[in-house]
Amino acid sequence: MMFVWREAFAGLRRNLTMSIAMVITTAISLGLLGAGLLAVRTIDRTEDLYYSLIAVQVALDEPTSADDRDCSSPVCTGLRGELEANPLVASVEYESRDDAFARFQRIYAGQSILQLVRPQSLPATLRVTMADPLRGEEIVTQYTGRPGVRNVVDQRSTVADLFSFLGSVRNATFGLAVVQALAALLLISNTIQLSAFTRRTEVGIMRLVGASRWYTQVPFLIEAVVTGVVGAVLATGGLVLGKIFFLDRLMSGRLLANTIPPIGMSDVLGYVGPVLVVVGAVIATATGYVTLRLYVRT
Amino acid sequence: MIRLENVSKVYPTSARPALDDVSVEVERGEFAFLIGPSGSGKSTLLRLLIREDVPSSGTVWVANWNVGGLAGRRVPRLRQRMGCVFQDFRLLPNKTVAENVAFALEVIGKPRHTIRTVVPEVLDLVNLAGKADRMPSELSGGEAQRVAIARAFVNRPLVLLADEPTGNLDPETSAGIMTLLERINRTGTTVVMATHDRQIVDSMRRRVVELSAGRLARDDNRGVYGVAR
Repeated sequence: MMFVWREAFAGLRRNLTMSIAMVITTAISLGLLGAGLLAVRTIDRTEDLYYSLIAVQVALDEPTSADDRDCSSPVCTGLRGELEANPLVASVEYESRDDAFARFQRIYAGQSILQLVRPQSLPATLRVTMADPLRGEEIVTQYTGRPGVRNVVDQRSTVADLFSFLGSVRNATFGLAVVQALAALLLISNTIQLSAFTRRTEVGIMRLVGASRWYTQVPFLIEAVVTGVVGAVLATGGLVLGKIFFLDRLMSGRLLANTIPPIGMSDVLGYVGPVLVVVGAVIATATGYVTLRLYVRT
Repeated sequence: MIRLENVSKVYPTSARPALDDVSVEVERGEFAFLIGPSGSGKSTLLRLLIREDVPSSGTVWVANWNVGGLAGRRVPRLRQRMGCVFQDFRLLPNKTVAENVAFALEVIGKPRHTIRTVVPEVLDLVNLAGKADRMPSELSGGEAQRVAIARAFVNRPLVLLADEPTGNLDPETSAGIMTLLERINRTGTTVVMATHDRQIVDSMRRRVVELSAGRLARDDNRGVYGVAR
């Protein structure tokens, strides 16, 4: 078995420049795949996070907002009772104008917008938590225009923009990963053919003295697998660096802090890394096998 | 040991068959020359014996193997019991003499300690014990061919096939190679040697199988190269 490994590494050394190109292309492809996987994971988590927080806001009209501190007016009680009886609704909370203003002050503490907003511009609302967050639109149609209601907003539609942004990040990285993967596959296939060609005398002699086809071809497969695994390791390293030097800085900035759940080191090393190693090894092996079957008749 | 029954081989690119209904038998331990002009089918016959090719019709037997009908994955087993020597030696240029011989054992998965004892023995047999660490480029033609023979013989094959082994060598060196092949034959190994070399055939007085245009032209037990062309 030693022999086979020695041959494989001799092969990688012999076509050193090709081997390097092969590893780099594989690494980029797998790195993009990894980035895509991380995006998917972030999207899932963001959805979990937001779906537990978001609600449908039924804003009440000016008279109710101005006078009702605890939803005791007939209009408010009526709406609340009706909403609580609705099977789509999990729970209903009343937020008076004063409560809303207090929350507003908390959220935008220290920002200039505070100077512009008076309590009068904020309505009292019934915060409706949905049993199924995806069906908020139904509450919107049912309650828009009802007496005492100013407007109804499904917060999900606001968050949807964020999701669609994350979704396009994911799609773009996956798309690039596929293109790069194609380049990597062709390079691996090409290198194996080249490697087999440069070693045809040796392989011919091996066959002559009774080496099995398997035995003569395993070194080429190992070359491919080593490429895939080394590429995956480099890709994982790249993702770690990307996380430390790019993502962590971006996430700590004002815009995205606390908006998107952060990606942890365990996501990169514990989840994406192993996935990439397996994917890299499997794809490289498959490419190697198919190449040997189709193009290398020794 | 070797038996051909009505063997024909037609290559798709050629109108005339390379072998045409050839039947011949070589006993265990025999030494047989295979002669005939270029293109008479000698190399084709040897290729059929090691399953480089399959016959178009007829049956090729080596030991108890029906060579033509052998499944691809069984071919290595056949070749492990056969040694091959060629006019162009076919040594690996980047390996030493000892490594070239060891290669034949490595690729069939022999343990390292076996290789370490067997390789010097066989190098001794071919009188190259002192040149184990030379590279093939440092060897004379005769020495290179002796390495090739050592490699073919190191696994103690049932049959040694030699395709023009003296084709590139001067008469004196050729005689040395023949002595070596005879010595190997005396260990019980069947030897089949394809050759053009009239002088060698005439001096050995061994069995001569002559092919002409793919057909069996002559089979003499103690033959000479012959005069009639």
